[in-house]
Amino acid sequence: MTGGFTAPQIDWAQLAPIIIVLGAGVVGVLVEAFVPRGVRRNVQLALTLLASAGALIAVAALWSGVRETGGTSVVGGSILLDGPALVIQGVVAALTLIALLVVADRTETGESAFAPAAAAVPGSDYEQLARRAGLEQTEVFPLIMFAAGGMMIFPAAGDLLTMFVALEVLSLPLYLLSGLARRRRLLSQEAAMKYFLLGAFASAFFLFGVGLLYGFAGSVRLDAIAEATTTVVGLDPLMLAGVAMLLVGLLFKIGAVPFHSWTPDVYQGAPTPITGFMAACTKAAAFGALLRVVYVVVPSIVWDLRPALWAVVILTMAVGTLVALVQTDVKRILAYSAIAHTGFILTGVVALTSSGITSVLFYVLAYGAASIGIFAIVTLVREVGPDGVVLGEATHLSQWTGLGRSNPWLAVTFSLFLLSFAGIPLTAGFIAKFTAFSAAVEGGATPLAIAGAVASAIAVFFYVRIIVLMFFTDAPRAGDRTGAEVTVVKSEGLTTVAIALTALLTVLLGVFPSPVLDLMAQAAKFIP
Amino acid sequence: MTNPYVPILVMMGVAGVMALGGVAASAIIGPKRYNRAKLEAYECGIQPTPHAVGGGRFPIKYYLVAMTFIIFDIEVVFLYPWAVNFTELAMFGLVAMMGFLFLITVPFVYEWRRGGFEWE
Amino acid sequence: MSLTNYLVLASLLFAIGASTVLLRRNAIVVFMGVELMLNATNLLLVTFARMHGDLSGQVIAFFVMVVAAAEVVIGLAIIVQIFRTRRSASVDDVNLLKS
Repeated sequence: MTGGFTAPQIDWAQLAPIIIVLGAGVVGVLVEAFVPRGVRRNVQLALTLLASAGALIAVAALWSGVRETGGTSVVGGSILLDGPALVIQGVVAALTLIALLVVADRTETGESAFAPAAAAVPGSDYEQLARRAGLEQTEVFPLIMFAAGGMMIFPAAGDLLTMFVALEVLSLPLYLLSGLARRRRLLSQEAAMKYFLLGAFASAFFLFGVGLLYGFAGSVRLDAIAEATTTVVGLDPLMLAGVAMLLVGLLFKIGAVPFHSWTPDVYQGAPTPITGFMAACTKAAAFGALLRVVYVVVPSIVWDLRPALWAVVILTMAVGTLVALVQTDVKRILAYSAIAHTGFILTGVVALTSSGITSVLFYVLAYGAASIGIFAIVTLVREVGPDGVVLGEATHLSQWTGLGRSNPWLAVTFSLFLLSFAGIPLTAGFIAKFTAFSAAVEGGATPLAIAGAVASAIAVFFYVRIIVLMFFTDAPRAGDRTGAEVTVVKSEGLTTVAIALTALLTVLLGVFPSPVLDLMAQAAKFIP
Repeated sequence: MTNPYVPILVMMGVAGVMALGGVAASAIIGPKRYNRAKLEAYECGIQPTPHAVGGGRFPIKYYLVAMTFIIFDIEVVFLYPWAVNFTELAMFGLVAMMGFLFLITVPFVYEWRRGGFEWE
Repeated sequence: MSLTNYLVLASLLFAIGASTVLLRRNAIVVFMGVELMLNATNLLLVTFARMHGDLSGQVIAFFVMVVAAAEVVIGLAIIVQIFRTRRSASVDDVNLLKS
């Protein structure tokens, strides 16, 4: 054996947010094994809420240190804890905390959004039995913790191996979670399978990109690859192919066109609380990682990639906006709106300025909060069967007519989130879009900013259409309805808290954005 | 024994005799009682395809065992490099691997407590 | 034999895996295509490790194997669940979400 082995110094304090969340996942599995069924749910809920709050506090405690030093590299450079990584970790922890409230809520019907026994065949006697026995798949809590842990490592990865492992750690639980819906289980399972097959396909591309870049640079560390892009000559095809395949994997995760085909199906099929969690947190984490790759590795070869990236941005905005216009399912509309927002956030990424980083960090927070809130509201609007039994969610657009009259508060909050998505002033969405587009102008990507403004203007149409439908269209009389009756179920309180928190965030970030923007501007620097 | 490869050859020979001898011995001296199940094509615990599609029960246990096997079998890949470099890695390696093994034990405990190893 | 041959082989295997994913209809076979892509990457990594005289490529291959195993477990669970419901593992039958 040549060359001695020196144990790496591990600064555990720097890893605290990650360890708290992943540790809660491991403890959660043990809870599943040893805690009796009756109290399991409450124990899991308390554990996961505490863990995400603890992670948030740990992020806050690390903040001043990172601001002074600009960031540290931990575990021999595998984890880079710098400003953007820490901010994304904080965003993920905070949004996970809020999403957990929606996940845990069983509403007045006493049934959670998840299948009572995920292994039971849909429609079988065993499933009925499990439902009547009030079984619950409390495994969702540790699964969410593992996914959140992966999301916190993803943007902080200092080498491509760590990034790949984090990508899988965040993806695998999400594949399972999206197949666990209580109602419309076939749709849910179908969504899980699509998400899984396409996701695995995309990670294989990511991995082959890692392999090519390793061949190019002789290392998978991001700083070494960045250095090699300026020093190594004669291997450009290898590098370009590697970076391109790496980007395919990342663009898949954020749902950019042409790698978006899973988004509407999975958003529609997955249990709605999970859709909210996915829309908010996966997007934040994946944009964190994308930022790091683009800002650390790509700068010296940006001219080679610029046309492709620009095309992706414009296509993403166009497809997301235009296809959303013709959708009739609320969850699908929100999914296409998510694709359009991916395009808007990407303008901040391709700006390649430090204000671009700030805009992305702010955008994922503003968009994430509004997504969790809006999907939380979707969980409450339900169909009613002929015998008065509350069924699944009423997601068809026509079922939302007149909701503004019967449930004004709910409809007003829903409209607030829609207006934020549309980018109307005094909401967080406006500030987010404004910073993203101005960063694009500053970074010499004015055409993208113009395209973004046009797309936003078109998007206003379908957001406002829903608002008009809720407030100014008469609800059809009972006899005219094609679908089932619609009701709004009362939450156990947890969802209400989540909706209130996200609505508050949406307004506060829209009216007083400067403290948060300043904070994120201070953080907008990657360490190589 | 001048050539260091001779013992390896001997071992391969012994292994070959054991493997072939076992098969040959059971073919020669073992009892032969055929029935329908034995003559059917073996297909991973599923009923042979023509029967399975229409209905019948689906033995899910096979997959449970297969998944358990995959997890624990593959985790061993980390044990081999550690074993080879045991002295080199010293205390750090020991602690790290103990942590790793503990984490592997957690899902094992979960599966055991939830009845994943009970056949009926 | 030149090491570049291995790189060509790895790329070919990756391409075969990718076409399997895109062309085959059985979910299990599609999934096998993904596994082939991952293993092609392993070959690539190990070959580059040899070319650079650097061990990290081999270490990454180990990690990839473990991650692939975890993926198999999750993937089989999802596919088996769908199969039990529908008695079919064809990706074409999975079309309820088509709008």
